[in-house]
Amino acid sequence: MKSYHGLIEKLSKTSKIDKGGLALSLVSFVRVANHDYISVKRGIKESLDLINFNFSRNVNKIVIKPNMCYYYHPSTGEVTDPWFVSVLIDVLRDNFGENSDIYVVESDASAMKCKYAFKMLGYDRMARDKNVKLINLTETKSKIVDITVNNVKFEFHVPELFYKADLVVNVPKIKYMSYVKITCALKNMFGCNAFPRKYIYHKALDEAIVGINKLIRTNLVMVDGLIVSGRHTKRLGLVMASEDPVTADTAAAKLMGLNPRSVRHITLAFEEGLGNMNYLPVGEISYFEENFPRWNLKDKLWKTISSVYLKVLPEG
Amino acid sequence: MNKINFGIIGLGNQGKIHLRNCMRLKNAMVKSVADISKKNLEFARKFGVKDIYTNYEDMLKDEQINAVIISLPNFLHLEASVKAADAGKHVFIEKPMGRNVEECREILSAIRRNGVKLMVGYGLRFNPIVKRIREKIMDGFFGEVQIVESTYVSGGPFTPKSNKAGPVPVPSWWFDKKLAGGGSLLDLGSHMIDMLLWFLGEVKDIESYISYTFNLEIEDVATCMLKFRKGPLAVVNVGWFSKDFIRSIQICGTSKNLWFNLSRLNVGKKIWNDLKKKIGWYNSDSYYLELAHFVNCLQQDAEPSPSGEDGLRCHEVLSWAYRKAFKNIKN
Repeated sequence: MKSYHGLIEKLSKTSKIDKGGLALSLVSFVRVANHDYISVKRGIKESLDLINFNFSRNVNKIVIKPNMCYYYHPSTGEVTDPWFVSVLIDVLRDNFGENSDIYVVESDASAMKCKYAFKMLGYDRMARDKNVKLINLTETKSKIVDITVNNVKFEFHVPELFYKADLVVNVPKIKYMSYVKITCALKNMFGCNAFPRKYIYHKALDEAIVGINKLIRTNLVMVDGLIVSGRHTKRLGLVMASEDPVTADTAAAKLMGLNPRSVRHITLAFEEGLGNMNYLPVGEISYFEENFPRWNLKDKLWKTISSVYLKVLPEG
Repeated sequence: MNKINFGIIGLGNQGKIHLRNCMRLKNAMVKSVADISKKNLEFARKFGVKDIYTNYEDMLKDEQINAVIISLPNFLHLEASVKAADAGKHVFIEKPMGRNVEECREILSAIRRNGVKLMVGYGLRFNPIVKRIREKIMDGFFGEVQIVESTYVSGGPFTPKSNKAGPVPVPSWWFDKKLAGGGSLLDLGSHMIDMLLWFLGEVKDIESYISYTFNLEIEDVATCMLKFRKGPLAVVNVGWFSKDFIRSIQICGTSKNLWFNLSRLNVGKKIWNDLKKKIGWYNSDSYYLELAHFVNCLQQDAEPSPSGEDGLRCHEVLSWAYRKAFKNIKN
């Protein structure tokens, strides 16, 4: 097992380091063996310490963006577990003070509606228990902003809440996704666009993902990898943190057995200056590389065959 | 009766399937459709349906229509079927027949009052494997059936769906207990209970449990244990909680024990079935077969099966199961 603890201690207390002239961003991989409150809280805290996350900054308003892509149960690994978010809230309050204003946000999508998802996934109960505000971004004030990425022009509805936030915490899942290969930190921010008919962006989804990330910057990525969907659902016990969404996605792609350079929205985000593809993993990376339920060649082949077959399937 | 002229009320997913299948039948045609969505009506027009209505009551005035297919949300079944029966139309109604026993009784009384026929869309009875199992049970192949276990677990209405325009949201009535009438027990359990009643006859006793994975008012997990008058015991497991899909039945008899997967075909069989559909051979499509059966019954003046009485019987068992389940929750 490879650990970089010693190396990090010697380095300056920032989440970016310089190694032989090459700037590297830190990404931490912490293993949580037991899914109980104390272990997960310790895991979150450790993952933040490993990336030298600065808790001494002045933070009053925190926006947390989990992944609530659809009405799936958190045990499937498809959506961020509200329980994980509740433990994260405790860690943030322990460090930024009890009085910090915390908003947990999501927006309506083409098929998923927040008013049902909040209830079905257990977010409304969590928000009541933790006394945080649960916000459907589609129902809040937003600004319409034009942005061009790779010569593709987009119009996004950027919620005003983000302009007032001191800290944007992105809490994604790690998943394979047929459109854009992987979904992690960068793709999760796509849900911050308040416009509900998100399907219209699917024609240029990679560019759209980068576009929304240019407009709404993530300050901290805290990946809920306690359960991952992968090739099959697995209790992986991963807590992964980074201050850089491009780094987080690059590390996630590698963990999933993909070449990050083959994931278009990652390279595009890097080219647009949204973050660093060069990173230094800290923590138990080798355990997760060995245990992540990766797609194999058969899965990839089957996915291709079935998508081609569905196109020729007779109607009705 | 010559060719049967159909009117379809409600062109959601199920309505569209019935429209396509009805067009494939040689002894029937879709004369008109009624739906509140212009998009859906446009879909029907492209299929060659001439008369389109936004109000089904106007459609029911057309004397050339012999029968209607009702594929509306559960809470509209009662009103639409009573109005159709009062207009003298035969009725094919999607399952569940109503939201509760009282609604089923009202529908049945309207059907009897007007002397028209009613068929409930329990398509599983037309699944070739299910049909074969029943024949084998009746034939004594299993000896005396002692235990049956049936499972139907999926995402239910929350299964992601998409069409050419993109992902399709779940209609809001599914989230409302009053409008839906129930959850997975009503939606999927009705299929399994109807099948078991068809196999094993009358129910003598029930025990039932439900639970709520997704914090909604409607149950998304249910298990019922049924004791049949003739002796067999059966378990029904249903749920809306899964990303995956399974529909299976296990039969244990004094001579033979077998497990059947009623849904998952291997790749070869799936391609074969799809090819058959491509060349117009629908002998394995239960939706097509149930409609063909209904049309034949209308032409030959025979009683369709599952009938309205079957639909009511199924609801009586469901209502019993709900009573027991709510009692178990309180305890």
